[in-house]
Amino acid sequence: MNLTIILPFYVDLFSNNTTINGYLNEKYKAWEDVMTLGFKHKMSVAMLALGLSGMANLALAEECRVSQASMDRPNGFPDRALTMIVPYGPGGGSGQVAAAMAEAVTELTSVNINRDHKPGGSGSVGLTAYMAAPADGYNVLEHIDDASSAHALDSSKPNPAVDLIPLVISQVTFSQIYIRTNETRYSDWPSFVEWVRAQDGKATIANVSAEGSMERVIMKFITDASDMKIQQISFDKGAPRYGALLGGQVDALFEQPGDVRNFLDAGNFKPILTVFNERPGVFSDVPTHKEMGMDFEPLLRFRGFYVHKDAPADRVEWLKWAFQRAYCQDSYQAYNASKFMNVIDSYRDTDGAIEMINAAVTQYRDVYKEMGMDVK
Amino acid sequence: MIENFLTGTATLFGDPFTIGVFVFGVLGGMLFGAIPGVSMLTLAAILLPFTADLSPAQGVMLFAVIYCTGTYGGAITAILFNIPGAPENAPTAFDGYPMTQKGMAGKAVGAAVLCSAIGGVASALVMMSATEPLAQWAIMNIGPPEIFALVFFGLAVASSVGGRTIWKGWLSVLLGLIVATIGQDPVGGINRYNFGFTDLAAGIAFVPAILGFFAVSEIFVQAEKRVGGTYSAPKFNVDFPTFFELWAHKIAVVRSIFVGFFCGILPGIGATLAAFMGYGEAVRWSKNKEEFGKGKLEGVISSETANNAATGAAMIPLLALGLPGGALTAMMVAVFQMHDLEPGPLVFYNSPDLIWVVFSAMFYANLSILFIGLIETKTILYLLKIPFQFLAPMILMLASIGAYIGRGLVLDVIVMFVAGIVGFLLRRSGYSIPGIVLGLILGKIGEQNFAQGMQMVHYDLVTYFSRPICTILIVAGVLTLLKSLHSAFYAQPSQS
Repeated sequence: MNLTIILPFYVDLFSNNTTINGYLNEKYKAWEDVMTLGFKHKMSVAMLALGLSGMANLALAEECRVSQASMDRPNGFPDRALTMIVPYGPGGGSGQVAAAMAEAVTELTSVNINRDHKPGGSGSVGLTAYMAAPADGYNVLEHIDDASSAHALDSSKPNPAVDLIPLVISQVTFSQIYIRTNETRYSDWPSFVEWVRAQDGKATIANVSAEGSMERVIMKFITDASDMKIQQISFDKGAPRYGALLGGQVDALFEQPGDVRNFLDAGNFKPILTVFNERPGVFSDVPTHKEMGMDFEPLLRFRGFYVHKDAPADRVEWLKWAFQRAYCQDSYQAYNASKFMNVIDSYRDTDGAIEMINAAVTQYRDVYKEMGMDVK
Repeated sequence: MIENFLTGTATLFGDPFTIGVFVFGVLGGMLFGAIPGVSMLTLAAILLPFTADLSPAQGVMLFAVIYCTGTYGGAITAILFNIPGAPENAPTAFDGYPMTQKGMAGKAVGAAVLCSAIGGVASALVMMSATEPLAQWAIMNIGPPEIFALVFFGLAVASSVGGRTIWKGWLSVLLGLIVATIGQDPVGGINRYNFGFTDLAAGIAFVPAILGFFAVSEIFVQAEKRVGGTYSAPKFNVDFPTFFELWAHKIAVVRSIFVGFFCGILPGIGATLAAFMGYGEAVRWSKNKEEFGKGKLEGVISSETANNAATGAAMIPLLALGLPGGALTAMMVAVFQMHDLEPGPLVFYNSPDLIWVVFSAMFYANLSILFIGLIETKTILYLLKIPFQFLAPMILMLASIGAYIGRGLVLDVIVMFVAGIVGFLLRRSGYSIPGIVLGLILGKIGEQNFAQGMQMVHYDLVTYFSRPICTILIVAGVLTLLKSLHSAFYAQPSQS
């Protein structure tokens, strides 16, 4: 447990001479605008606050599923820095998780990791570069579920569960639909759907809607199940996407909660639908798609770390240990908590990751066929 | 505001370590901006992990200072060697390098130093006085349709820059626009013109293309002259522009401050568009358009004023709304997050001290450009004394590193050399290199925003033109185009 994070929280709490709920309500008042009153609300505010304060470190540290605290390096491997290819820019979600994981692995093993960002082509440029790099264990890859959906659409593309060995999946998250908190035309999912239907296809939602992307597939599920038509506006960068909702250029936003946390904290955005099978605690007053009558299996955003399948087996085992154990490091847990990556189980070891990737590939492939796309 | 500014100043200069961080940022930004092959982004990426050990104010301030001085630093190599340190310095090379060839490097560099400082300071002052209302205005009134209209307005004058005739200028711009379409389309993610090469799906990166069109093609041109016996080394001259020379361009400076600030305030746009638009507006309002691209001081002044004016403006959406305007401001978000902070409206309430230290630091960083810039310039100009046979391989090596380092792709080095060869051939035929680069950079921004804008108005042009800012810019752009065509038809016989 990271005492440097926890202690100030307690000092602050007790010096305020108040109850925990009173303290949390005072400190995180902005959330009053976002959530309704009631016990669940207080609990969700409390959970959020605990996450912000680093308390989640403790809860998640208990989830560490790698008991082995250290592991001998196989034949001295690695005797130099690793290279991590990141197929996205340094400022986005992948860039940040890569930095957090690299830091955690270095803390744990004293092995440095150089990050090599190769953005472009929805992650395909970095993946291609990685497949061409030596499979000696010194090169590792960060990638997201885009690699799975790309393989589902075109089987000649690398299969992350077969052509790569997942070391760990360290972030798993769900998507939500957001509106502005000061929106007056609708206030929740039912009124939003009613309003969108009345616009006859002229309502807009900001999204990352590249062909076959997780975002576009989920939006197809949602619009089909809700019997509504909505114009998706594709923004490939976060800032213009969020600015479009803030400025009223679009009517809603499709995003994952960790990416818009500052807007939620500031009370600018409000989630009206969670695309997940159950209500995560922090968003306990936001209905799920199933509760709103949409019967489909949610696709999740996941980010993980991989090594080439041809890498030497003993090196792969060490890398698995290093990355899976690094997940439990305080620094990594604090990072995940700051990104809402602790509200559902974000951890998959190699077997769990392969299962998750295979399920995703199958689901994407079925959906693509249903959508009439050219599945190769 | 003044009280807050003074408090920020006192905090900044009241602690020796904070002063050290500030000075490091000022010098580091200038150095990394000026060395071909690396940039302020390289420095920022190296420093990012170390900011965890700084206070939040020191960490964010360091990046803000690097942003200010790094944006200026790239102008030096653009002017002296035709190697823009970053895309936002490319328009500086349009006229800065021809000035060097004419023996006016000192004037060009001096103008860049002074105008970078003026643009940056003016921008910092506006940032300090009105961050929140400006940010709100920008996101409420400027969306993809307006940004496309702005790009269209900017491109309408592009044909006037550097081509032997207006027709050749237009063909150059069109070539740039076509090159900009290589890679995934901005809406559906469909691959275009990548011929099965995965790396090409990411499109043509700006930096390798700019290095090829400017630096490599220039080496070929100079090498040809050397072989033909017509080569003459750039005249060495350290004369700075006089007060009266600069005063004569006061309107260009003020105009570029407005243009740069307006572009900088738009989320996701940043200093690159600002520099190109600042340059474009200088061309639009000039009575001697044909002199641009051939060594006109006003070109350097407009570009450098505008790109530094965008630095303070780019902080506005970042700090007020949490919306970064470019790669460096996106890294600043990471600095905030490393300290459990998120940029956005709450920062003004939760961390006012941090905000005012950053504002003060940006103000003083821009002033530092003036003083340190003038001192270093006298030294840097001596690089021009290096003989061509030594300088050319050095430039080629540094340009190759610069092309490769961005994405680590060999493709980018190939792109650089292809652009160099194509640029060399086109320059011989009187086509415009600045026009191609304008088309390439503005084309990418414009296409994306046009597609988004059309989706937003449901492909209904009536709705498109119901947005007043959009309509004004497009009408102004069309009028400029018509004027350009009129000139082309009537000037053609005498020009060809």
